[in-house]
Amino acid sequence: MRELSLHILDIARNSIEAGATALQVSIVEHQDTDALELIVRDNGRGMDEDSLRHATDAFYTTRETRKVGLGLPLLKATCERCEGALDIRSKPGEGTEVRATMRLTHLDRPPLGDMGKVVQALACEAERTSLRYRHQTNGKRFEIDTRDLQKELGNVPVTDPRVLCWLAEFVRNGILSTGSKA
Amino acid sequence: MGYLQPVTVGRAVEALGLAAVVSAELGGEISGAQVSDLLSYVMAEGKRGQVWITIQTHPNIVAVAGLAGMHAIFIAGGFEPEPETVARAEEEEIGLFISAETSYTLAGRLYELGVR
Repeated sequence: MRELSLHILDIARNSIEAGATALQVSIVEHQDTDALELIVRDNGRGMDEDSLRHATDAFYTTRETRKVGLGLPLLKATCERCEGALDIRSKPGEGTEVRATMRLTHLDRPPLGDMGKVVQALACEAERTSLRYRHQTNGKRFEIDTRDLQKELGNVPVTDPRVLCWLAEFVRNGILSTGSKA
Repeated sequence: MGYLQPVTVGRAVEALGLAAVVSAELGGEISGAQVSDLLSYVMAEGKRGQVWITIQTHPNIVAVAGLAGMHAIFIAGGFEPEPETVARAEEEEIGLFISAETSYTLAGRLYELGVR
């Protein structure tokens, strides 16, 4: 994928399809140690040891009617190409955490892309799966949670098109305000 | 001139001077080609019967080519596929060929040969 935001959308969609009611997406830029971390955590049905072992194997997933697609194998290859790693932890009935790391300034690292659009797309599912998005650059943090947003909005749903339009722009500006270079 | 004979994988391999790593699908007619090092792009754009020119060597290239129903992968730039990539290509019966030429040159020659 040309942008990391598309990987994040892909993995977050796995979480929603795994029945998660709460989804957390965190992006952490450590400019001092030249590292970028992408974390997607959910409380979905999780994976057993066998599925977990094969989650990043492109061949296993293609043969098993492609339940999770090639998303994780491709993200893993991207991480490794950029001097990082992909770490997946999961417990059946509890949830899954996918943590992707890469060198922030690695030449082959895809740009982060438009996280505003990704948060907007995921917020469309807010009634089923709440989203907490956090972007941190060094110590500076931007955070938004669709549950808090819903409380503020009262009767207007988060999925109202006017809210979604505003949300994408709010997230873009929030990320910029942290001094992001991703 | 004008009418172009169908180009098989075997004919392209010979004309482009490729070295065979996995000699599969030699009789397959090439319906077109992709030149890309971004696997997800080929996943979306790759078509049945095409060949794929890339400098990627990871086993994932075989999964992507298989998913798209492509005949063969041409690895350019003098790069060698990883042992697992070779094993997977044998299993999936996808041709795997290598060349010291650049992707640009291989694509140009393939076009000259009549693959559109």
